[in-house]
Amino acid sequence: MADRSDVVGTVAGPGDDPNEFVFVTPSDKSIKTGEFITYTVPVEGEPRSVFARVTKRELIRGLPEGFLADPEVGPETVAATLGVPTDDTELYRLTATVIGYYDTNMTTFANPRQLPDPGTPLSIAPHQQLETVLPNLGCETDSTDVTTLDGVAHIGWLLNRPAEATNLHIPIEKFASTHLAILASTGSGKSYTASVLIEEMMRPSSRASLLVFDPHGEYDTLAEMQGEEAFQGADGYEPNIEYYDPERLRVRISELEIGDVMAILDNPSNRMQERLSTAWRAMQRQESRTWGIDELIAEMERIYGDDDASVGALEWRLRRSIERNDLFHPEDNVPLGEIVDPGQCTVLQMDTLDRWDQQLITTVLLRRMYRERLDDVRDRDSDIEHPIFALFEEGHRFAPASGDAPSLGIMRTITSEGRKFGFGLGIISQRPSKIDEDVLSQCGTQISMQIQNPTDQDAIKNSVEAAGEDVLRELPGLTPGQAVVSGDAMNTPALIQVRRRHTEHGAGSRPVIEEWREAYEERQREPTGSEAADFGEGDSTGVQSLD
Amino acid sequence: MHRSTTRQQYGDEAMTDTSTNVDSPDLDSCVRIGSIVSSNSHLDYVAEVYKERDCDRPPELHEREFGQPVFIKKTVDGTEHAVMGVIYDTQLVDPDQGRTGPRLAQDNQAQFTPGYIEERTTLAGVALLGTAEIAEDRGIQEPTHQMPRWTLEVEDTVFQCPDQVTVSFHTVDDQIQLAYMDRLLDIAGDLGSEVIVALIDRLRGMLPEDDPNQRVLDVVEQNVQWQAREQRGMV
Ligand SMILES: Nc1ncnc2c1ncn2[C@@H]1O[C@H](COP(=O)(O)OP(=O)(O)O)[C@@H](O)[C@H]1O
Ligand SMILES: [Mg+2]
Repeated sequence: MADRSDVVGTVAGPGDDPNEFVFVTPSDKSIKTGEFITYTVPVEGEPRSVFARVTKRELIRGLPEGFLADPEVGPETVAATLGVPTDDTELYRLTATVIGYYDTNMTTFANPRQLPDPGTPLSIAPHQQLETVLPNLGCETDSTDVTTLDGVAHIGWLLNRPAEATNLHIPIEKFASTHLAILASTGSGKSYTASVLIEEMMRPSSRASLLVFDPHGEYDTLAEMQGEEAFQGADGYEPNIEYYDPERLRVRISELEIGDVMAILDNPSNRMQERLSTAWRAMQRQESRTWGIDELIAEMERIYGDDDASVGALEWRLRRSIERNDLFHPEDNVPLGEIVDPGQCTVLQMDTLDRWDQQLITTVLLRRMYRERLDDVRDRDSDIEHPIFALFEEGHRFAPASGDAPSLGIMRTITSEGRKFGFGLGIISQRPSKIDEDVLSQCGTQISMQIQNPTDQDAIKNSVEAAGEDVLRELPGLTPGQAVVSGDAMNTPALIQVRRRHTEHGAGSRPVIEEWREAYEERQREPTGSEAADFGEGDSTGVQSLD
Repeated sequence: MHRSTTRQQYGDEAMTDTSTNVDSPDLDSCVRIGSIVSSNSHLDYVAEVYKERDCDRPPELHEREFGQPVFIKKTVDGTEHAVMGVIYDTQLVDPDQGRTGPRLAQDNQAQFTPGYIEERTTLAGVALLGTAEIAEDRGIQEPTHQMPRWTLEVEDTVFQCPDQVTVSFHTVDDQIQLAYMDRLLDIAGDLGSEVIVALIDRLRGMLPEDDPNQRVLDVVEQNVQWQAREQRGMV
């Protein structure tokens, strides 16, 4: 007979699904749904730990509900009155789904295709074992000290366990190459979680090349990493956090494609479109990459004559939409060499740009970077000779399901092809249902947090096939900082508490009440006197004059 | 049919007469109700109710009504104990109508099996609830609702239990207790819930109105009533 001291329950029999079994535990072994349990089965003659996830918990024996009739009389009082013992009365029936045993050759779970026999003792899966087998770390044993591995991101710990008991270290390479989606309602911790991942990726052991498209100015505090010992390498490495404010965000006009220009111009007529396309193509065939609107108009006038009405109308529109917009410039361009570098995280602060400009700069930057990555992989000269990872807040704005954004095309290209070229995207969004389906379904790793909206829940369910129903059921009930991690970075989905940031979180909502009170006090401090008196008089005369 | 008549009758009595009970914690001056004549099981006894001829002061109707707590004195190992019980059923026997009189008991039900009885008499079913020690001041102490281990004997006297003793017996650590409930339900069969409700009614009348135990009793009563209705297929 095996030592049963760590046994928490006993298998009762098979469940409804072929992969399910039912087991029974007394009340003092409080096992929550989502908990990982194990039992041993022989696989090819060797004992193997099979892991299973608890999916349901029902009370099968407990105090009658009639004992709860009066809210002011505790059920245990009624029980005491009737001499019913209250300790150890409760018995729970739990349902668990078999995940499998960890196949050290395949470095993932293999299904034993056999349910545990009734009477099989079940234990809580040990911390280190889970830390090894839950994430897709490719470990060659089923129990490794994962903190010693390189290229892993400590994102948090299993929610059902005490804080920091069973830590989850996910492989950065997996989510950075096959793309990441962070999906949740506003205020659930998306930006927070993204920042945790950024911190992990900027550690000396990873030195990532990151780009954050930040439409809300939520990543201002990342710079705190600089000077922090935790982020310094023995070789003198320190992460470099660069901020690009709109002053430094420039799109060189020749980088725009004709489709972009059409989108920028306000509803041009067919004739205008035709003239513009012809001239634009002609300009792009030129040697010079630094032409502006003047040159473009000169080209149109050369082709269509200088008194063409459509050219006149186009000139007016081009000057208004492009020339007068500081974002566009004949020569200036965001220098790629400056914004991407290993060990550098560049935050593109786009909060003062309007949506169109945000989309355009994003489109142009993504295109340029993709081109460079392509060149690098194909052994051509390239400005970006290392893999890059770009994170997008408001992901649905750049890859909208409505198709209404110039950036959608390049986003689709990168999510479907980028893994070959070392270009990973992270899509953060509070409206998963508004993200282009192709883009969302290409995000191999998903971090899903609290989300209520049924349409958005469905969008997650449809795109996140890896996370089973039982895990996704948890989504509406999560609180900020709790998440389901699933997909390529995991061998099986897990419900986690995201760890605390090392840097301050910069994305809180405004302290409205505090600001009101401060503003009020400010007003009180203003010299009262003639001005205040004037107001009073003004008011009263105003009223009188109305009569 | 007979049974329901009996119940009705005693029910009415209970309404009018309980209040006239004189409280006396002194176990030695309690009204004698009758004496044990037989038993159906370890916890289920039959007592013959005293008549004029049997003692100085036979019990009045309301002193031996349905749901009346009773006790029987027993000295065990030198300590005097009160074995606590309750009247959960009654039966009239008329020898002229044939030895056993009308049969009241139902199928599969604990039933009276009266012994040799020569004249018209009333039998009372007494279910045992628990025990307590009789204290020096002739009250009780150390009440327990565990199953009494001792057997009563034929001719043991059954006394009416004073209210104060009834309350003491039902109070363990300031907490009202009716831990014998499932046993009593078992013995009393169809009248089980009725006898428990009768006991609860009595206890409620004996406790101060603002006693927190009042609400506990309400919940217990609700549960018993509901269970009884469920068993009768009403709900
Ligand atoms: N892992 C976490 N640990 C502690 N607090 C968290 C965590 N995640 C989120 N929070 C809290 O939730 C708030 C909202 O998080 P945030 O990332 O700004 O939400 P979102 O980007 O989804 O709108 C944060 O200000 C922080 O207080
Ligand atoms: Mg946010």
